[in-house]
Amino acid sequence: MLDNIIDIITDISGADEGEIEAGTELFDEGILDSFGVVQLFVQLESYGVKLDVAEFDREQISTPAKIAALCE
Amino acid sequence: MTPYSGLPFFCTLFIVLLPAAILGHCGKKLRPYGLLATVLVLLAVFEGWKAKLLLLLFWAVQTALCFGYLAVRKRCEKRWVLWLFLLGALAPLLLVKLAVFVPKLQLLAILGVSYMTFRAVQVLIETYDGYIKTLNLLDFSYFLLFFPSVSSGPLDRYRRFCSDLAKEPDPEAYDKLAVEGFWKLMTGAFYSFVVGNLILQYWLEALPQSGFGATVGYMYGYTFFMFFNFAGYSRMAIGSAYILGVKMPENFNLPFLSKDMKDFWSRWHISLSTWLRDYVYTRFCTQALRKKWFGGGRASSYLGYFLTMLLMGAWHGLTPAYLIYGAYHGILMSANELLDTKWKRFRKLKKNTAFSILLILITFHLFSFGLLIFSGRLI
Repeated sequence: MLDNIIDIITDISGADEGEIEAGTELFDEGILDSFGVVQLFVQLESYGVKLDVAEFDREQISTPAKIAALCE
Repeated sequence: MTPYSGLPFFCTLFIVLLPAAILGHCGKKLRPYGLLATVLVLLAVFEGWKAKLLLLLFWAVQTALCFGYLAVRKRCEKRWVLWLFLLGALAPLLLVKLAVFVPKLQLLAILGVSYMTFRAVQVLIETYDGYIKTLNLLDFSYFLLFFPSVSSGPLDRYRRFCSDLAKEPDPEAYDKLAVEGFWKLMTGAFYSFVVGNLILQYWLEALPQSGFGATVGYMYGYTFFMFFNFAGYSRMAIGSAYILGVKMPENFNLPFLSKDMKDFWSRWHISLSTWLRDYVYTRFCTQALRKKWFGGGRASSYLGYFLTMLLMGAWHGLTPAYLIYGAYHGILMSANELLDTKWKRFRKLKKNTAFSILLILITFHLFSFGLLIFSGRLI
């Protein structure tokens, strides 16, 4: 799931291949914003993962690894 | 009697909070007393039988809607049913706001209708989402009517509020919270009554009514007045809530250090802007992406920001000044997003000290101009 999450974020943020790693700080680095989170969560629905944006503060979803842990 | 204004209110507040401090210190549960205190303060604030009756009616309508929808939701997940209940919950607020066009509706105006309505709306939405599965009449009423923040926020969330009520009494933790609350109450009063009034008296009221220089002076003065007045009220509300054992969320976080408008709205009236983000912007964008309304692109975000900020303006009132204020911020938020996404260097420049100072100054002026619109002086 972690690889899928990194792929989705790379795609929606326009980041370079390999730029995003498991521990990359997505908000501090300006990779994700509010809309980016919505895009990510909507795309994760196709993997059967249902996450609600309002249920998490940014600290809880600040890296791909943290998001992957929430999907488990 | 107006909340956080005049000696009668502060005497009432002292009388009401003192027993709470004693009970909390002795390790007693504050929930029953807090509800009683809320009812007593509201009875004092809503002067005259007509105001009391309107408040009772408002409480009855919102309670019936929230409990009614909870029962309906167990059998029906249809979104249009939620919309019906939302319309009912929003009706009192809409009627009061429409008093701009139909003056007779002013008779329905009750203090705190904006905040109390959004509290009920939040319960309905979270019931639809399945997060709220049960409602307790006393807890719901306490949340809906909670007096410290009824007139000027912050806007709390039902589940967060109830989690505070459910905590086991801990005298040591309570004492710490109450001391912090008392400090917030005092500093809030200082912000609002000392600094705010000084700005009002010696800056705003001393300016001529017209002229470019006076309007620019008014813009700066009004911005500082609004901050100290509003942040002061919020601090007093949060402080009072702390003493009642409720750790109400913060509403301001150094807003004049914001580097762009998105940053600004995460620091000014935080409880309202995050409420709107979670229940309007995010939901609109999620639906837009799922249904591919705008080809799944950023257009939904731009429109989402515009609609959300326009709603924020309308929530303040349906006068041209408030609506233009909302639309102005909608455009600024969309422009901010456009800069963030299309100009990649913008992200890096925000980390540069000199550029940051420039951005802070620009953001401050953009907001100040917005408040000048809000003040109605330009229209």
